[in-house]
This record gives sequence, C-alpha cells and structure tokens, in this order.
Amino acid sequence: MSAPDIAPGGLLGAIGGVPRPETDVVVDARDVNKWFGRLHVLKDVSIQVKRQEVVVIIGPSGSGKTTFIRCINHLEKIQSGRIFVNGHLIGYREAGGGKKLVEDKEKNIAAQRQEIGMVFQRFNLFPHMTALENIIEAPIQVRGTPREEAVVVGRALLERVGLAAKENVYPNQLSGGQQQRIAIARALAMKPALMLFDEPTSALDPEMIGEVLEVMKELAREGMTMVVVSHEMGFAREVANRVVMMDDGVVVEEGTPDQVFSAPAHNRTKVFLSKIL
Amino acid sequence: MFSRLGTRRALLAGCLLFVAVTVAGCSGNYSVRPQFFWDSLFHPSPAIVNGLGLTLGISVVAQFLGVVLGVFAAMGKMAKFWPFRTVANIYIWIFRGTPLLVQLSFFYYGLAAAGLFKWPAIVIGPVDILPNIFAGIVILGVNEGAYMAEIVRAGILSVDPGQTEASKSLGMTYGQTMRRIVLPQAARVIVPPLGNEFNNMLKTTSLLTVISVFELYNTFSVAAGHSYATFELMAAAAVWYLLLTTIWGFVQSRIERRLARGTATGSSGPSGPQGPGWRSRFFGRSNVDAKASGIGGH
Repeated sequence: MSAPDIAPGGLLGAIGGVPRPETDVVVDARDVNKWFGRLHVLKDVSIQVKRQEVVVIIGPSGSGKTTFIRCINHLEKIQSGRIFVNGHLIGYREAGGGKKLVEDKEKNIAAQRQEIGMVFQRFNLFPHMTALENIIEAPIQVRGTPREEAVVVGRALLERVGLAAKENVYPNQLSGGQQQRIAIARALAMKPALMLFDEPTSALDPEMIGEVLEVMKELAREGMTMVVVSHEMGFAREVANRVVMMDDGVVVEEGTPDQVFSAPAHNRTKVFLSKIL
Repeated sequence: MFSRLGTRRALLAGCLLFVAVTVAGCSGNYSVRPQFFWDSLFHPSPAIVNGLGLTLGISVVAQFLGVVLGVFAAMGKMAKFWPFRTVANIYIWIFRGTPLLVQLSFFYYGLAAAGLFKWPAIVIGPVDILPNIFAGIVILGVNEGAYMAEIVRAGILSVDPGQTEASKSLGMTYGQTMRRIVLPQAARVIVPPLGNEFNNMLKTTSLLTVISVFELYNTFSVAAGHSYATFELMAAAAVWYLLLTTIWGFVQSRIERRLARGTATGSSGPSGPQGPGWRSRFFGRSNVDAKASGIGGH
C-alpha cells in the first residue's frame, strides 16, 4: 500500500489557508429530529464539534450517521432541532418567535454550503469534466475567482494529493482512490471552514483505502475541522479527537477513541465493536 | 458505418423511384412525363430552391425553440413550486393532446377571425419574415416543446442524483447545477431522441401548407396543380425530403459520436469502458502513479 507523497506546504497551504472558524464551536447540533415518512431516523441528536477538532461518527448501518452528516449541510431536511455551523443556523429561518422552522431561501442555503466541504462515498466527481476542471468549477462559478487564479490553486491541490499528472484526465480513467483524492481537492478548493466525510473509503477497493486516509490524516494534522462518518477504526484511533457512537438514530455514547474503543460504556457499542474489529 | 448504410439506403430509394417513374407510364390515361421529375431534382426552379430553404430554415429555428421550451417545461414539471408544475403540465397536456393542424388553424386563422391577435411580419436585418411564416415557426416550436419536455425530463432524470448533491454541496445554486452539471450530462441521453424529433420536424413543416407557407411540399403541390404532373412532382418532393432526412442522419451520428468522446460514462472507477487510446497515453505518461494506485497491476 503506497500512499501518495504529500508535498511540503500542506493541503491548506495550497489554498492559502482556510478562514479560521468564527466561533469555537464549529458545528452545534441541538436536539435534531428527522423522520423519513413515519420512520424516525434521528432522535434528539446533539453533537458539538469544536474548532480544529476531528470527530468520527461510527455505528451500524441504518443508525442515522450518514443522515446526520447530510443534515449538517442541509442535503437532508430536519423536522425539529437546530444545526448551527459557525454560529449560523443552517437551512432554516426561525419564525413564530423562534418556535417554528421555515426553510431558508435556496440562495442563502447555497451560500452557507460554500463554507462546508463534503466528500461522498461514491466520489460524485463530474464525469464530463477533467480532474482540474472538477476542482476549479465551483471556485469560478460560485466564488467568482478568476480562472487563472483558480487554475493555480487547483494545480497546487492536485500536486498535494499526489495527482499532478492527472490534471487533464477524466474521472472514469482514474481509480477509485484517485477519484476520491480529487473529490477531496475539489471540496478544499472552496476553502471551507469545515469538512464533512460521508464514508469516504467504503466504496474503495482495499488497496486504495490507504491513499485516501493518508490525505485525510494530513488534513487533520493541518488543523482542518472535520466530521467523518467511517468504519475505519484505525483512522479513528489515530486521528480522531472524539468518537461518537450512534445506533437507531440516537447518540449512544461519545468520548476519546481510547475510551470508546477500549472501554465502551454501553453494551450496544460493545456489540457493534465486537462485530467490526 | 452509419453513413455508408445511409448512402446505400438513399441510392436504393432513388433507384426505386426511377423505376417507378419510368415504368409507371403504361397505366390508364395518365402519361408520365419524366422530365418533370428529373428537372425538379437536377434543375430545380427558384421556387423549389426557396421552398427547400424555407423547410430547412423553419425546421431549424422551430426545433431550437422547441428545445429551449422543452428544457423549461421539463424543469417546470419537476419544480417544487406547484404553480410551475401546473403551468408546465397544462402546456404539455394541450399541445400534445391536440393536432398540430388544428393548432395552426386556430392560432393563425382563428385568433385573427375573432379579432384577438394578428401575427405581425418580422424584420431581422435584411431578412423579412412574413406573418404566416413567423406564426408557423412559433406554433411548430411551441408544439415541439411539449414533446421535447418529456425527452429532456428523461435526460435530467438519467443523471445520477449524486451529481446534484455534489454540486449543491459546493455551494452551486439550482440554476448553476442545471446549466453546468446536469444538462451537459443529460445531453447524451437527449440527443438521440432529439435527432428523431428533428427528422420529424423536417417533414412536419409540410403542414404549414394550411397557413399558405410556400415550403417544399406546398411549392410542389402548387406546381402539380398547374402541370397535372402530380405523380412525377410528388415523387420528386419525396426525394427532396429523403435527401434532407438522410443528410440529417449523417449529422446526427457525428454529433452522437462527439458527445460520447471524452465524456465519462460514470464515476465508477477504472472498471468503466476504456479505449486503447487513452490507456497508452495514461500509462505512458505516468507509470509510477498508475502502479501506486493499484490499477497498473493487471
């Protein structure tokens, strides 16, 4: 398993650093509830993520962890509770004296999402664009960055994820690991204050998992605030500041990786870990 | 491959018509005058050339209008805001549910008879568009838009929802997502049926005869009325239409090939279709990285 070399200067160096989160608590989810029809998938979920913290959410499939992370950038609606990112309520306006949630305007939601990078399980690179075009698309279209400037940043990012040679290659000509590294670069190009990873290695062949985790570890070392849904316990142990165990839409327990992995307080965590470790 | 087949088909059709035109003279009182057939093909009168130009021009503009309306109607049909959906549905319902011939007569003659609307002549630079031609283009385009709506909608639905999510997560708005991410990918699915629609459009323009547009069919029809050479002239008109649709067939297959090139078929990694061209380029240029990522192994 050969991981890519991460060029000196780091991933965040390539984008000239990211804005420091305005608040100490970057993600503040309070009593979030969500239903899919009659299925109650998130039950009073409260999770806080502090600046430069790496939180890994674990749990069996169907536990709501992916749904929760998708609520953070409003890819999923919530029915009650509040999610704040950098102190801003995500996706909604409060109405009726703070009692009711009204979905925000599409334009405002889009603006909020600019500050939140997301990496998907299935990469979701734009297949009709080359690697570089994938990375520079949003900075040019959304931020209005001049093309030349976006290209410079895009090339630097490609180099830092070890794919400088793939600039003009289309996604279907790349391996899964390479695609995911480009997807990370694409999200970073928007200089987000927060990065969300939704099972970023679950769709990868085993030999490609390392190269993606290596990029994520580097990002964590450089101080990016990250929320990661993952089954990679090795990664969680090494990088996470905090591990959150979810089951059946509820946060079962949370703590440092040592606490959760070595001395889980709850039986459900023990059962889950015994199956996966 | 396609083009050779097309050429052969066109030649075959030509031969059949030739046989029909030269042999059919023996029946009844009708004496075939092959000269009418050959002349209108190889020495077309200015009227025929004009009709040909009108047929082609009207088809192109009306189809373009149809595609634009189709995109909007498709997005309207899929909108969250219900009034958009309702408007789109009613539009599609009416224009797909009534004959084009009725639409032409109603919107051109009907509205004028009731004193509601008279189609104006349009002047664009040196081009002078008669009211009936203008009406014909608009009505054909609006009619076509209703059919294109379903084609465009199918194209949009064929794009992986993950694409929209990725685009949204980068902060792109609905419009940006559609324009930059979804529609370019939907195009590959839309183009084949779109080609079919345009083929239809080339022939459907003949209906504009009812509002006295002198496109290809009407020109031949009037000539036939004067000369009574209906058999020869209608055969010639058919050959002209065949020529148009055959040429379009070539153009369409070229467009489809171009759309397929360079565009990925999915984001599923190296298992997707791979041509030998890129493969040699790929491994030739960056052998080390290809090995490192595990796809140089086989």
